[in-house]
Amino acid sequence: MDAVQTASRQRSPGYAGTSLTGLVVRITLLGVVAALAVWAVLPLIGARSWIGVGVVAAATALLFWIYLTPNKRLPLKYLVPGTLLLIAFQIVPVLFTLSTSVTNFGDGHRGSKDEAIVSIQTASITQVPGSPEYDLAIATGGDDTLVFILSDPATGRYWAGDADGLKDLVPADVQKGLSGKITEARGYTILTAAEAAERSQEITDLAVPVDGGGIRANGLSKAFKGTSSRAYDQACDCVRDSVTGEVWTADPETGYFTDAAGQSLPQGWQVAVGLDNYTRVVTDEKIRGPFLSVLWWNFAFAILSVLVTFGLGLLCAIALHKERLRAKFLYRTLIVLPYAMPAFAMLLIWRDMFNQDFGLINTMFGLDVGWFSNPWTARFAVILVQLWLGFPYMFLVATGALQAIPSETLEAAKIDGATGWQAFRRITLPLLLVSLTPLLISSFAFNFNNFNAIQLTTGGGPFAAGNSSVGATDLLITYTYRLAFGGQGAQYGFAAAVSVFIFLIVATVSVIGFRRTRAQEEIYR
Amino acid sequence: MRVKIAGVAVAAALALAVSGCGSSDDKADDGAKGSEPGLVIWADDKRAPVLESFRSQFESELGVTIKIEAVSKDLQANFVTASQGDNAPDVVIGAHDWIGNLVQNGAIDPVQLTDAQKTGFNADALKAVTYNGQVYGAPYAVENLALIRNTELAPEAPSSIEDMVADAEKLKKDGKTEELLSLQVGDNGDAYHAYPLYASAGGYLFGQKDNGDYDPSDLGVGKPGSIAAFEKISELGKKGVLKTSIGSENSIPLFTEGKTAYLVSGPWALTDIKKAGTKYDITPIPGFEGMGKATPFLGVQSFFVASKGKHKTVAQEFVANYVTGEPLATALYNADPRPPALTASFDKVKTTDPDLAKFAEAGAGAPALPAIPEMSAIWDPFGKAESAIVGGADVKDTVEGAATTIGDAIKK
Amino acid sequence: MSARSKTAGRNWWRHLILILAVVFALVPIVFVVSAALNPQGTLSSTGLIPTDGVSLSNVGDLFANTPFAHWYLNSIIVSGSAAFISIFISAIAAYAFSRFRFAGRRVGLMSLLLIQMFPQFLAIVALFLMFSEVTELWPAFGFNTLSGLTLVYLGGALGVNTWLMKGFFDTVPKELDESAVMDGASHTQVFFRIILPLVAPILAVTGLLAFIGTINEYLIANVFLTQPENKTLAIGLFGLINETNRNANFGIFAVGTLLTAIPTVAVFQLLQRYIVGGLTVGAVKG
Repeated sequence: MDAVQTASRQRSPGYAGTSLTGLVVRITLLGVVAALAVWAVLPLIGARSWIGVGVVAAATALLFWIYLTPNKRLPLKYLVPGTLLLIAFQIVPVLFTLSTSVTNFGDGHRGSKDEAIVSIQTASITQVPGSPEYDLAIATGGDDTLVFILSDPATGRYWAGDADGLKDLVPADVQKGLSGKITEARGYTILTAAEAAERSQEITDLAVPVDGGGIRANGLSKAFKGTSSRAYDQACDCVRDSVTGEVWTADPETGYFTDAAGQSLPQGWQVAVGLDNYTRVVTDEKIRGPFLSVLWWNFAFAILSVLVTFGLGLLCAIALHKERLRAKFLYRTLIVLPYAMPAFAMLLIWRDMFNQDFGLINTMFGLDVGWFSNPWTARFAVILVQLWLGFPYMFLVATGALQAIPSETLEAAKIDGATGWQAFRRITLPLLLVSLTPLLISSFAFNFNNFNAIQLTTGGGPFAAGNSSVGATDLLITYTYRLAFGGQGAQYGFAAAVSVFIFLIVATVSVIGFRRTRAQEEIYR
Repeated sequence: MRVKIAGVAVAAALALAVSGCGSSDDKADDGAKGSEPGLVIWADDKRAPVLESFRSQFESELGVTIKIEAVSKDLQANFVTASQGDNAPDVVIGAHDWIGNLVQNGAIDPVQLTDAQKTGFNADALKAVTYNGQVYGAPYAVENLALIRNTELAPEAPSSIEDMVADAEKLKKDGKTEELLSLQVGDNGDAYHAYPLYASAGGYLFGQKDNGDYDPSDLGVGKPGSIAAFEKISELGKKGVLKTSIGSENSIPLFTEGKTAYLVSGPWALTDIKKAGTKYDITPIPGFEGMGKATPFLGVQSFFVASKGKHKTVAQEFVANYVTGEPLATALYNADPRPPALTASFDKVKTTDPDLAKFAEAGAGAPALPAIPEMSAIWDPFGKAESAIVGGADVKDTVEGAATTIGDAIKK
Repeated sequence: MSARSKTAGRNWWRHLILILAVVFALVPIVFVVSAALNPQGTLSSTGLIPTDGVSLSNVGDLFANTPFAHWYLNSIIVSGSAAFISIFISAIAAYAFSRFRFAGRRVGLMSLLLIQMFPQFLAIVALFLMFSEVTELWPAFGFNTLSGLTLVYLGGALGVNTWLMKGFFDTVPKELDESAVMDGASHTQVFFRIILPLVAPILAVTGLLAFIGTINEYLIANVFLTQPENKTLAIGLFGLINETNRNANFGIFAVGTLLTAIPTVAVFQLLQRYIVGGLTVGAVKG
């Protein structure tokens, strides 16, 4: 169907050629694009990121190709700016997240194995017991190599240490400032703090080899003799502790170094786990069990949120849709106000208003309802909050849509003897739905995943005694959040897998809804 | 065709012009790199301004420029993510119970303190920042819960919870107060504030290994002791001593407005109490009659050195050799009165601030909040169990349910 | 006089609905106003009507203790430019979706909707890692820049608003463009001269929606802006009421919340005449 239409439209005698103004604007804009591209490419070349250069070049070439051919690729001309932004800041992050769903990405498994090894070794550096604490000055030798100028305040001896080892210094060659800091050492250049800061990584990496360990900088003014008791051994792919003799072998399945007893070192790395996260969602009784009960409330919440907000919003819009209504301007401004207030702040305020003993609602109406301790009152409460937050939006949208309905159509209907209600039912509402159905669907999709609306009010509660993992107002998204982030830190990989399931559900429902709009679109066009 | 040629020509010209500017821009950037901040410190919104007031002092003493940034929300999570990217700060200020998670993510490095520096700290504070045998942060403030009471309404410190409840009930009957006790619970519970009561009645969270580290394989929730403890909490709920309607947003004001004579809170409550002019005294949280001490958790605010910072040596210098000095600790106290972790500084300010010693006494013998990552599996289920039980739910089922949830989360 | 009362009589149901709606809308806001004027500045001491006297001390505190003026300006810059640009991008895309028939049109429209359904708190990590690179390469669009934040917000320009506009564009009779094309107009001229003026109401509505959406956004802004004077209103305000400060700062938070609503209301007033305007009706008649 689409294909046939496409063909017929493109063959039809099209639009006129570009005017001079159009040409000038277009060329200027393309010039700006080219300029931006050059500006963007320079640092990429500096960083030797050839892929980056390729992407920028391809995007620029695409833009030129699209915009330099008049009256061709018309849809693309209009769609490309938004699409590029969409790809960069929405699709790429989503794809990245999806890619983590087949890994164990999360707290404890964020970096690479090498990073984990570095971290394990660094964490095992301890000061050699009884060794002196040195005063330190960071210096450079003749060929700009890094040198530690060390002094032992207890013995008054001085050394210069670099990667090759320690060298004694004659005390006379070393000058100390008033505060006891080494200010000069013959043959070496003492670095200022700012200069040293520039070479931070080098300083961290330098351990002056001495018997029983290495002398390392501890900041910029102190040094200590330390040993790293744990080291990675390539041969056995394991970490060995030279003091206790313990061995932790790398486990590529879990991304941990694990000892014989099954105890792991805390620092892990990211590994691919295949479909484990997905199978966990399907097979884990704790997740699958409450899934259905959460799902039905999730649907109820999203549908009710849309219906009540649309209902009240439309009602207000219709009530205001009347020329020369008194205080029209005032009404409109006041009704929009809830939408102008920061939503997160108002969610918190609503939560306080529902407090059983001190909340405004119980005080105002003289009630003693534990709003958030009973499943049904809690559900009612969150829907009420949704109504307050959302109806001004629907009001605005409906007002906009009402303006678009030609008043003649309605007048004609009235002349034909239709009552106000009949005219509304048969003409206004269907016309409104044409333009608003897509919006209602997207509003449904938004509310289906409306994390804040639940998290900042009931937090998913109330929870049945003995079951703290799923509450009466939990949505799939808040439920997932608790599963993925409530254990030992964040489990992004798992959360991503669950969101794929949620995504499939919402998508299916929305696509079904969407098919209906297609039918409508064809009727009213 | 003409369009194409003209377009390409103009675009090329513009591109050349801009690339000229671009390259000069780059030079400017290179020049700017020298003055790039030497040290980037991340703190929350409350502490950032305090540090900001010391910035120029830090800068002149350290000899590098410093930038203090405030992360308004989820500081810990953002820090971990930043460490994974290329944008990590050099120093982070946070609570000691983050250490387990920060270490497992390779986000912080041990801080090498000299023996002299170590002995300068409150021993409990130092123990709190020690994880797997390494010191991971320089502590600067120690905080714990205590019982704060309105001395005009309740002149005598209660000897036990039963004693306190009896007095509170009398005050309420006489119409002097409206609530018996203000201890925050909230709709979803609050494990931190519930812990002293839980500990007094014989519950524990994690067992301890021989070296004093917490042992995640020995979970105390669900054990008979924890059920007995929650039975006591349930009784308090039935009497209306604990209420789910009292949460973080209203627990302190109930006290400052004189609606209750007793408040369980920490040093952060004092600012409001002093502002309201309430006459108060601070004593240890009383235990249940004939049962254990109601020990709160110690929380230690610390400076951490980030592993992935660009200026790690300066960060180490700052944390190991500067934060550990008395002048800064005292100055930090003056800006935000929390009990200093540095003994010298604590002794100096306690002469002018008697509350500090009282809080310290209330926290005597208190265990540090467990820093192991497994602890994060406890907060949510424990809190919800508390809230449900205060609301009248069956104790045994609730606690056992929470224990299963916690156990499952730890295994994963 | 009699005519007027007659209209009022016929409109009583309108007024009833509107008054009820206004009361519902205002109760929480009156509560916030009362908190803002409460000299004690705490949440718990606040009722619906100020009881402890009225003072503007919270306003002074807000400006004295926080870089509120910076936040304000930042928010207006970011939200203003993001809304303006994204409406333009949305409008041209909606024009394409409404007026052209091309392969992948329906799939494209559907994808726009589906992409929005992905939980945002997961994508934050990806954005963070992405912008770590951007900060290295192009500091002008990196962390702690308003331009970078605006750019990220523009990533959502094609989305719900495009849908809304597309639905609206569909109601503009196709015959209008066709006759313009007969008269020799190019497709850009049709868009700018014929369509845009006709859809002014929906541009105004979506513009307002986009402005509100960005001015209230705090998840991404929290990651992007860490320097106190760089923050936007939403994230600055969020910082005021973190756990321990929640009650004490409530007064100044309330002032901030109310002041945040002002630009939104101002934009609304500015756009009102388009939203209500009879432009469409007139044009369709012609």
